[in-house]
Amino acid sequence: MKKTYIYILIFVLASSLSLSSCKKYLDINTNPNTAERVDPKLLFSYAVTSYINLRSSGDLYIPFALAGQSIATGGDNPTGWGVPSEEQYDISSFSNGNSWRTYYTSVGGNLKEAIKLAESANPVNNNAAAQCKVVLAMSVYETSTVFGDIPFSEAWNTTISYPKFDAQKDVLEGCITLIDDALKQFDDASPLKIVDYDLFKYNGDLNKWRRLANSVKLRILMTMVDKDPSKAAAIGTLIGATNNRISSADDNCLVPYQDVAGKKNPKFAINEQYNGEVNFFFGTKNVVDFMRPLKDPRLPKFFTKPAKATDYFGVENGETADDDVNVRISTDLQSASAPEVLFTYQEELFYEAEIYARGLGVPVDLGKATTLYKKAVEESCKYYGVDAGTAATFAATLPAITNAEAGVKLIDMHHWVDKMDRGIDAFTQWRRSGPEGSETPALKLPIGAPAGPLFRRFEYPITNEISVNPNAPKNTIKFTEKMWFDL
Amino acid sequence: MKKLLQSLFILLFVAGAAMAQDRTITGTVTDKEDGKPLPGVTVLVKGSKNGTQTGGDGKYALSVPSGSTELIFSYLGYTSQTVTISGSTINAVLESDSKSLTEVVVTAMGIKREAKSLGYSVTKVSGEEITKARETNIVNSLTGKVAGVRINAQSGTLGGSAKIIIRGSSSFNDAGQPLFVVDGLPINNGAPQISTSAGAVPQGSAGTDFGNRASDINSDDVESMVVLKGAAATALYGARAKNGAIVITTKRGSKGQSNISFNSSTRFDNILKLPDLQDEYAQGTQGLYNRASLNGWGPKLTEVAGRNFTDFLGVDGPLVAHPDNAKNFYKTGQTYINSISFDGADEKGDYRLGYTSTIQTGIVDKQKLNKNALTFNAGRKISDKFDVRGSVNYTRTKGEGMPTQSSNDPNVLIGANYLPTNFDIEQIKNNYVDPITKEQITITPSRNGNNPYWIINYNTSTNVVDRVFGNGVLTYKPATWLTISNNIGTDFYNENRFLPTKNGTIGALTGSFISANLYNRVINNDLIATVDTKLTPDLSLKVIVGNNIYENFNRTDQALAQNLTVDGLYNFSNAASVINQNSSAKSRIVGFYGDAGLSYKDYLYLNVTGRNDFSSTLSKANNSYFYPSVSSGFVFSELMKDNNDWLSYGKLRASWANVGSDSQPYRLAFAYSGQTTAFAQYGFGSTFPFNGVLGYSIPSIIPNPNLKPQNQSSLEFGTELKFLQSRISLDVTYYNTNTKDQIVNLALPQSTGFALKTVNAGSVRNKGIEVTLGLIPVKVTDFSWNLGVNFATNKQTVTLPSDVASYSIASGWSGLQIKAETGKSFGIYGSAWERNDAGDIVMDASTGLRKIVKDKRLGSTAPDWTMGINNSFTYKNFNLSFLVDIREGGVMFSNTVATLRSTGLAKETLANRGNIFIDKGVIETGSGYSPNTVPVQSMQDYWGQYTSTNTESSIFNSSFVKLREVSLSYKVPNGFLQNKVKFFKGMEVGIEGRNLWIIKSYVPHIDPESNLFGANSNGEGVEFNNFPSTRTIGFNLRFKI
Repeated sequence: MKKTYIYILIFVLASSLSLSSCKKYLDINTNPNTAERVDPKLLFSYAVTSYINLRSSGDLYIPFALAGQSIATGGDNPTGWGVPSEEQYDISSFSNGNSWRTYYTSVGGNLKEAIKLAESANPVNNNAAAQCKVVLAMSVYETSTVFGDIPFSEAWNTTISYPKFDAQKDVLEGCITLIDDALKQFDDASPLKIVDYDLFKYNGDLNKWRRLANSVKLRILMTMVDKDPSKAAAIGTLIGATNNRISSADDNCLVPYQDVAGKKNPKFAINEQYNGEVNFFFGTKNVVDFMRPLKDPRLPKFFTKPAKATDYFGVENGETADDDVNVRISTDLQSASAPEVLFTYQEELFYEAEIYARGLGVPVDLGKATTLYKKAVEESCKYYGVDAGTAATFAATLPAITNAEAGVKLIDMHHWVDKMDRGIDAFTQWRRSGPEGSETPALKLPIGAPAGPLFRRFEYPITNEISVNPNAPKNTIKFTEKMWFDL
Repeated sequence: MKKLLQSLFILLFVAGAAMAQDRTITGTVTDKEDGKPLPGVTVLVKGSKNGTQTGGDGKYALSVPSGSTELIFSYLGYTSQTVTISGSTINAVLESDSKSLTEVVVTAMGIKREAKSLGYSVTKVSGEEITKARETNIVNSLTGKVAGVRINAQSGTLGGSAKIIIRGSSSFNDAGQPLFVVDGLPINNGAPQISTSAGAVPQGSAGTDFGNRASDINSDDVESMVVLKGAAATALYGARAKNGAIVITTKRGSKGQSNISFNSSTRFDNILKLPDLQDEYAQGTQGLYNRASLNGWGPKLTEVAGRNFTDFLGVDGPLVAHPDNAKNFYKTGQTYINSISFDGADEKGDYRLGYTSTIQTGIVDKQKLNKNALTFNAGRKISDKFDVRGSVNYTRTKGEGMPTQSSNDPNVLIGANYLPTNFDIEQIKNNYVDPITKEQITITPSRNGNNPYWIINYNTSTNVVDRVFGNGVLTYKPATWLTISNNIGTDFYNENRFLPTKNGTIGALTGSFISANLYNRVINNDLIATVDTKLTPDLSLKVIVGNNIYENFNRTDQALAQNLTVDGLYNFSNAASVINQNSSAKSRIVGFYGDAGLSYKDYLYLNVTGRNDFSSTLSKANNSYFYPSVSSGFVFSELMKDNNDWLSYGKLRASWANVGSDSQPYRLAFAYSGQTTAFAQYGFGSTFPFNGVLGYSIPSIIPNPNLKPQNQSSLEFGTELKFLQSRISLDVTYYNTNTKDQIVNLALPQSTGFALKTVNAGSVRNKGIEVTLGLIPVKVTDFSWNLGVNFATNKQTVTLPSDVASYSIASGWSGLQIKAETGKSFGIYGSAWERNDAGDIVMDASTGLRKIVKDKRLGSTAPDWTMGINNSFTYKNFNLSFLVDIREGGVMFSNTVATLRSTGLAKETLANRGNIFIDKGVIETGSGYSPNTVPVQSMQDYWGQYTSTNTESSIFNSSFVKLREVSLSYKVPNGFLQNKVKFFKGMEVGIEGRNLWIIKSYVPHIDPESNLFGANSNGEGVEFNNFPSTRTIGFNLRFKI
């Protein structure tokens, strides 16, 4: 039996040897493919790129541009987008799901994390935090205009698994607070900021960032003011100051795409990959019929006229387009390198024109309103490639505003036309342009759309939020239901 | 040929083994029970490899060398007998060994045990059973054969994957696949998915079915497969086998003369189920012809007879029905499986060399599968105390023409067989490319118009897998009671996947391709010491202690090349943009284990095991976990064998086990990952660097540094009974398994900024009963009938933390989800019809169409019970057997059916076209409900709304009854061979069929067995443009020389 003990001894020794080296052997749980620390700018660039991709893609651009009737499918035209589709309010659950996911995870989640990293860095990178806050405010505002009441105060907090939904008013107030925080946080003395990764091409110019912040704040206030007239005072205060808002085309907030495979504007790519570079989408009568009598110089910039057509003619939404008659959206407008636009100088001017025409926080001044809206249209023309001379001449031919009510309608119409290619932005402009039934322009139900009221919003995504969040609204809020700001 | 083989045979194996042979002994072997002759009994000269088999008449003749003293007679199921040689005639009488049941099975860690000593249920499937009706994926050959084991073939793709579910799905997160162990080496059975397009909708898309890697195991090399179902059975394997284990023993050289075995199978595959399509209406919408539409909602053919319409080629002509489009689209696929093996053994060693070639063509053009498997194993006694053994297996599998399934990819093969009847599939086949411009001729001018033959000819996937696994075992036996052995092995494969999209494909007009290399490696070492001793004459003790080291490493390098300049050249230099992605993961386990077994008088057995694992994937505080098991077997019939005739064998068994398991690697730390692409719908996201900058992102899963091992406890009771000389056998098992503290990625509302968080939460309990019944209703001289029935029922119950309403297991499309909810089993959830309290479906008063409500449970994905019924009839040397496979309960969603209906192609959409149709239901009247009186605007609107807006309409009962296997074989009598063709030792010819007949199904148009999620997801019950399954009929020839 002696041998037995020897074997047992050998075994025990072998085992204990392997035990001691075991710890080292097992210490391999560090992912070689990820980083545990990064510069906040790296999260900022991913958030911004995800944001602009959402805005120009099939999940957000196509549904809102079609359901909002600023472009048209061309009905059964073989190389059109086809019906029934988003134009008939047939919205894929991917569209609302992916939009929600992008707003909350790719954009919001990364911006929040970037703010945290910037503010916890040593030394603190206040400017990067503030830059992220401005973009976050822009994105949250937009999320709310898409979905209505949304999680905000409890969102993006790893300790809260089931964020509550905040009322739209509170969300928008929260966005204003976020901007005010950012404005306070900008620190000219600090060299730390996002410069090379500043995809807006502001190159870290803090004054441009401040002007963007204030203009975004104005956009939010203008969306709220009809439901909450007390916001007029804040509007008055904001536009009372000079040189604090976007004040030239140089300040435009946009991100260009690149004419390189994999980096092209999604609006272009979808036509390129599916339709042989023929644009799927047509001009809608709502836009074209307004521009044609004005001989608007933007017509050839916005649309491609068939060779046989005598003039620019759009189609009704849902109507089958005739390739010899109806205009398509120009492939120059939606070129491979066309930028995604977040805020333009003309948008600022349209708001200001409206403020003076309506007397929001300032006395009514129709003269000032006239000047501002003409300037807005002129800037819009130049933005879309009309030469400066033609743009100025065209703006000069536009009528002066003599009646506040008609004037506001005219400003709203020009404002909407300017945003023809901007999906959700045009749709929000339309919704805030008047109470139900009095919006500018007056839209009717697209051909083939289900009987009932017009489209008003995205429904909440089931899989991404509703079914997993016990604090989410229990009742389905239909796409035809208006949200808080929408009268 | 014969000469050549003979020379080869002699050269290779016989040369050194020739011996002087002196005299011939003859005799007859009979069955003690009925006195009838026993054919096929092995007669061996003791101490040599010299032997023969008895013929159909039970007679044998054997040359016996001088000096030999004994003959051994052995036959499966009978007690072997050794008879001293005296004279030239030796007869033997063999007794059935059913009473003693000395069957030996290989259990965890390769430990061989007598079946009767086990305290848990074990099912052994022989190699012969597996190859009865051959399957190219070995997993499929278990279908219907083992109680409690459910096989789920995922698609009809050649080389496609199959999933195994043992005793119900026990995990929220992983696919719950059992551990595959080949000759002691745990091998990889992954089914990794890669995205088919960069930034594609993250929906768990299975895309192309590239198979599961257990299919690299060659059926012809398998001696036996043992299915270990419960935790007590697998406890020694540790965490890796928490879902059970399939322990495979490969064939070894058998003692006696050297053999050369051939097997040749030829089979023909045809589509199992064709959709039932209408052939009365042409393509179009709302009754009008429209060549941009692939709907069957156009004009009625008889009403437009004589009128001309422009077809997809731009040619004007009448609209004519082509009722055989779907039939003509599919052709007969062919499979040739040829194998050869050389084996032999003597007292000192054994060897076996095998080669199998599988060549398969699919039921659609261009589909091919080519598999070559080479295996070698050998063992040698170096001295009395020292054994060496080694094996190596090499498999090369090449699949071509693999179709893309699901959606959101231009290459999905939809529409190919689902065309409006005015199309002629032959015309489409002959006109998919313009002979002059070389551009695609699309079947419609719109964005759904890819010509299916363009896709088939240019845009299908290829994969090539090179796989090697093998091990070396050293066994040292310093004393009779002690054995020390070390088994070291490795398993690695490299798979290259290639998915081209040719320039001119709608959806990717500028062309693209994906190339991916997947590498996986397992290293495993087990050092085991076994002490086997008798404590008293009645009490034996067997103690095993061991150490295990296990490492798994995988790496994927993947590139998407876009915008190709030279058409058809799939080289990165030809692409304007190449997006590269790489990932890798490594995990390790170190385990120490022990097993103590006591047996008393060959009827009472007790086994205790324990294992402690240390895992690299958990934090130092949580990475050590111990799990015990206890099992006991009591063969009570041994105590009453003298006074009963009716009970041949009776045993009770019980076991309990508690096992832990670790996590995936890298789930503890919060880390940022570099992004290749920012998502945009339709796959046109921006790739980084974008405008010169890179992008990083937070993880989508919130990691958890405090992750604990998950825990499974399992209780099992069973009995095995045999009556009337084993004419009736019954095996009943009850089990109750609870897997708690599950490591799950709990879905978070995305408003948190994350999609998931890793936590220990929730439990899944599986309770069930398994019954295996064996009957021999008839057994006479030349004829016997064996009936085997296996039945299993499992009830799964989920418990989630109170703040978690439900847990999402997998997501499908348009709100469809596979979810877990407290108190229920895994189920399909999605939008459903709105119903009032009386259960009537509520219609929209303005349209007459059904209203829907979201997120409703629509049924369980798992069946209530499954049953396999196997009948085997043997008449003389003929054997006919057939297997009926039954599944009862559970539901599935079919997108194919939804599409066929919404597009007006399915036959059922003919009803009410052109008539006024009022759907049955109610409308809201303000105060209550009244019967619906609103007609639908058109049947196109009706079916469009019926199928596209909700999940419920395409949910079907997934029960089925199938004729799974039929085989008819004829064994050429050994006597005949010995007399007439002495060269052959055995020959068998057969006809085999698989998946022959769906006897009963509730799903229209498709085979109810298909699943989108693939073998590495635990989602099931969703069909989404899956490639259809096939029916197989073939011939088999087997002979041994």
